[in-house]
Amino acid sequence: MTRPAAASDGRLAAVPPEERLAVVSPEQHLANVSPEEHLATAPPGEELATYVFAVCRRRVREAAFAGLPGLAEGAPDRPEHPVRTLRFGALTAVVQHVPAARFTEEAWQQRLADIRELERCARAHHAVVTVAAAGGPAAPLALGTLYHGDDRARAALESDAERFHAALDRIDGHVEWGVKAYVAAGSSSATATAGTSTGGEAGAGASPRTGTGTDVSPRTGTGAGTGADARGGSRTGTRTGTGGGAGRAYLERKRGAHRDRAQRHERALRLGEEVDAELTGLARAGRRLRAHSQEFTGRERLQVLNATYLVAAEREAELRARVESLRHRTGARIEVSGPWVPYSFAGEV
Amino acid sequence: MSERRLDVDREQMGRDLVSLVLTVVELLRQLMERQALRRVEQGDLSEEQVEQIGETLMHLDARMTELCEQHGLRLEDLNLDLGPLGSLLPRD
Repeated sequence: MTRPAAASDGRLAAVPPEERLAVVSPEQHLANVSPEEHLATAPPGEELATYVFAVCRRRVREAAFAGLPGLAEGAPDRPEHPVRTLRFGALTAVVQHVPAARFTEEAWQQRLADIRELERCARAHHAVVTVAAAGGPAAPLALGTLYHGDDRARAALESDAERFHAALDRIDGHVEWGVKAYVAAGSSSATATAGTSTGGEAGAGASPRTGTGTDVSPRTGTGAGTGADARGGSRTGTRTGTGGGAGRAYLERKRGAHRDRAQRHERALRLGEEVDAELTGLARAGRRLRAHSQEFTGRERLQVLNATYLVAAEREAELRARVESLRHRTGARIEVSGPWVPYSFAGEV
Repeated sequence: MSERRLDVDREQMGRDLVSLVLTVVELLRQLMERQALRRVEQGDLSEEQVEQIGETLMHLDARMTELCEQHGLRLEDLNLDLGPLGSLLPRD
């Protein structure tokens, strides 16, 4: 099962939190069932498949799920096949019967390509998981975990019982917090002094996009005092006659831009590390996710950290205090989301 | 059905192709530029050479901008997302 491109990139910001859609990718989760367990071929007619939402340690009251449509289409208040529980060993799975024909591999592919349908499924899944986790730890399974009926589900889950127990131990009493840190994109230090417009024939049009802050002012700055910046041409470099200007000035401008960018990136990296280190300090576990590109964050800001932390439920205030102090100290914009059911920590860590 | 979809997409395909070609050209241009900057920093080029290289790159840069404008693209649109590797060309 492949994950739709949209899922990992946060476009579905409506689905809380975006990373949750990563659960579509089963390989990193407890739903790590062998491919043949997925419904690879369309079964005939009325066959029902068993969709698994989560696994809990205790008994869960089925009544708690009343009114939740689960994956039933059309989101009815009283679905024909309600969300229910399925005991296996000492554990309880939260499951629902779904028409197998609607949940074949192919049908899933279509569903995942349809962003609205994907959102509906993700929300429905999340709603059930949230209820399941209300009274104690619940290990959410990946979106789209299906078995050929209850017996197959029970057998597969049973064989993973040890991992479920380990996961439930790990997340018991913990919640997940998503943390994203941003800095303003573009130049960090320089004010756009090195105008592209200064350069008459040379500057104009030549590099409108590099006009952002280079701290080397090509036309004016090449005077005597700049020997310190180890310019290669320092041997000959005092000759800054206007005749030798345009080409060299262009290179200087570029060099400034490159250096500026390198500094910015280094700063961003350091900042991400700093925030991560600080929060890892109070978390039981943490995960760094791939930072969103500026296509999704917008050009005006650069994401320097996209992480998620498994934190003891009672340490929320502490987490928020640390984030607040990080904000002051670093000037970064830090977004915190949560608390979530620990989706990211229910599988292997 | 599939043929009709192809027709609809033909124009888009052309645009995508132009954008891909320009992206590759821009990649080469940036690589040359970096190489030039390294050479200049090493300091083993004569002032004339530096000037010449600089002007050449500047004109290439200007030409790229023109080409983009002609095809209704922006330079910052020229990029490829390489997934976990990031983007082909550096984004600021």
